[in-house]
Amino acid sequence: MALDLKMPILVVDDYQTMVRIIRNLLKQLGFEDVDDASDGTAALAKLKEKKYGLVISDWNMEPMTGYELLRHVRSDEALRVTPFIMVTAESKTENVIAAKKAGVNNYIVKPFNAQTLKAKIEAVCGS
Amino acid sequence: MATASAQRMRTSTRTRGALIDPGGIDLKMVARELEAVADYVTNIKREIGALRANELYRARLPVAHDELGNVVDATQSATNTIMAAAEEILGSAEQDFETYRTFVQHKVTQIFEACSFQDITGQRINKVVDELAQVEKRLSRFAAAVNMRDQAAQVDPEDAAKQARKDALLLNGPQTADLAVSQDDIDALFG
Repeated sequence: MALDLKMPILVVDDYQTMVRIIRNLLKQLGFEDVDDASDGTAALAKLKEKKYGLVISDWNMEPMTGYELLRHVRSDEALRVTPFIMVTAESKTENVIAAKKAGVNNYIVKPFNAQTLKAKIEAVCGS
Repeated sequence: MATASAQRMRTSTRTRGALIDPGGIDLKMVARELEAVADYVTNIKREIGALRANELYRARLPVAHDELGNVVDATQSATNTIMAAAEEILGSAEQDFETYRTFVQHKVTQIFEACSFQDITGQRINKVVDELAQVEKRLSRFAAAVNMRDQAAQVDPEDAAKQARKDALLLNGPQTADLAVSQDDIDALFG
């Protein structure tokens, strides 16, 4: 499945090790333009400055969670179509259902592997 | 009121074998109840002593706190070492095979060394589990001994606010294997 490897991706996670892991995986997949933010508030600021082709966000962050970020993105006219993948340790069914209702495009539970990440990005962004 | 009660006790009379005061109070029963209260208080004092609360919060809980802090630090340090080594291998532009092989072997050795953190963190976590088991044992014994019931009014407001946020934003955290939804199940939900 064809992927636009030049599309900017925003990785949102408060745990720098996880940001580094996702950045490296994305680099291995060939993506070059990857930014990061440490919570939903910082991510929203970046989303308003630059047009991203994909947001990959953790759920549990302070002060703004990934779930709140998702709802903000989906309620913002300029951002609402931005593809959004939740990558999180929140593994209760109620979380998945809530994220789906809020408009998430896909959901990955941690720990995950490069193949899963690639498959979800392809499912969400592939043409 | 205490004076009136004492006066009633002084003027009590014996009726049909029971010590009854003119006000109709069974003083034997009162004495038995007072004795039961005294026993209860003595028991609570003994259980409070057995709880050794000072030792719990001055020694055992700080140990658990410090050990877990060390586990976080050691895990982070090892992860950074492993990731840095892997990134250096991936980013190497070395053209000579033998030089590249020596370089990779050196980096892989660093990765093996960093993985030794698991032994230490395992031991630290076992210490924490032991300390918490002691806390649990003493609290459970105390709660049973004094027939303690939790009261909503005594909930710490800060803890209540945190819990309310967790509930509202579905901050459930990682789940045990039996409760966690699998990636396959999630994929099925997304069709």
